[in-house]
Amino acid sequence: MLGSKLKEALICFKNLRVTLPYPAQSAPPAEGFRGRLEIDIDKCIGCGACAIACPPRLINIVDLDTKRTFEFALGKCTYCARCAEICPEQAITMSREFELATENKSDLNITMELTMVKCQECGTAFTTQRIRDKLMAVLPEKIEIEPAALDWLKLCPDCRRLQEVHKLTEAGT
Amino acid sequence: MWLCELITGNRKTYGMNLIGGVRRDITAEQYPKILEVVGKIEAQLKELVNAIAGDTTLHLRLKNVGVLPREAARQLCPVGPTARGSGVAIDSRVNHPYAAYPETPPKVITKPEGDVWARTLVRLEETFESIRVVKQALEQMLPGEIMAEVKEIPPWQEGISYVEAPRGEAIHYVLTGPDNRPYRWRVRAPTYTNLQSIPTMLKGNFIADAPIIIGSIDPCFSCTERLEVVDTKAKKIRVYSQNELREMSKKR
Repeated sequence: MLGSKLKEALICFKNLRVTLPYPAQSAPPAEGFRGRLEIDIDKCIGCGACAIACPPRLINIVDLDTKRTFEFALGKCTYCARCAEICPEQAITMSREFELATENKSDLNITMELTMVKCQECGTAFTTQRIRDKLMAVLPEKIEIEPAALDWLKLCPDCRRLQEVHKLTEAGT
Repeated sequence: MWLCELITGNRKTYGMNLIGGVRRDITAEQYPKILEVVGKIEAQLKELVNAIAGDTTLHLRLKNVGVLPREAARQLCPVGPTARGSGVAIDSRVNHPYAAYPETPPKVITKPEGDVWARTLVRLEETFESIRVVKQALEQMLPGEIMAEVKEIPPWQEGISYVEAPRGEAIHYVLTGPDNRPYRWRVRAPTYTNLQSIPTMLKGNFIADAPIIIGSIDPCFSCTERLEVVDTKAKKIRVYSQNELREMSKKR
């Protein structure tokens, strides 16, 4: 009986304090830790793959006039890093930041705007400037196409289809 | 939790499992760290077990308290340590081996007494068993691919899985929907079945013992925060909301 009590006391005395003096002394997370996500707006082309990949759908995309707005509602983020994995431009990275306590959930939100381009024919904004610029630059390197074919990229998918139909019907008659 | 953070990248929301496999492999540098932490836990646990084994104060407090006899346990179907503490040898890792458990079978630990002390002992001994399984699994693990490529998840397909969680068998049901997303997901957490045996355990005990009896099943109330009352005579079912329960608890 007394032996047990002594052993129990010994365990307590041996370990004394196990908690760290945390706010006074910093406690860096382990390597490979996934903290608050960071977005490099210069790298983002606005493809929206992250919005599709996000399991709880926290990334909202709104197209309005010539602006594509990305809203990251990070108050509910579980730091799964699926968006960072899927991003083709590596614009999203997981930082090591974990001290995110706030009184207002919306403090964590990130909003980002990208410019969209208008279709030359009908004038509707259909994709971001950066996606089109990238395609213009990358396509001639990857495949053999006539320079004139790049004009297609200046049209929205609907107008491309219409133009092709017109070409075919003219050729037929 | 430090170990979880090291292996998965987060302390609680691991985000490890995906359809097709797991997202991170255990690296060569992590092996000795895992063994070190696990070894430390084992040593400290041995000290603790050694100390409390002969502690008569604890025995007086826990033995013959909150007894769930084997027969009652069979009828109420608790799972995990709650069942094993009443001598019902069920463990889905052994009864329906999944993942790597056929290669690293754990020993099913049972105690026939069915009291709080028996459940405590089952949990303690199972911790040693788990440490042994972790060590064995690390030893036997082979290098290789951790993910299979899954392109499209067919919609409107059902899946059901069972896992032996620390509290007992957890069952997850998923109905897939369009866009590679789940449409419906239902969890039957172990506390849901374990909680049914609480009235039997409480019967004939002192009110002072109620907290340790309820605590002995290691309940997770967030898994069970709903109450359905079935009136067998009127054949009616009623679900009480959180506010109703709060009002009821205020009334005498």
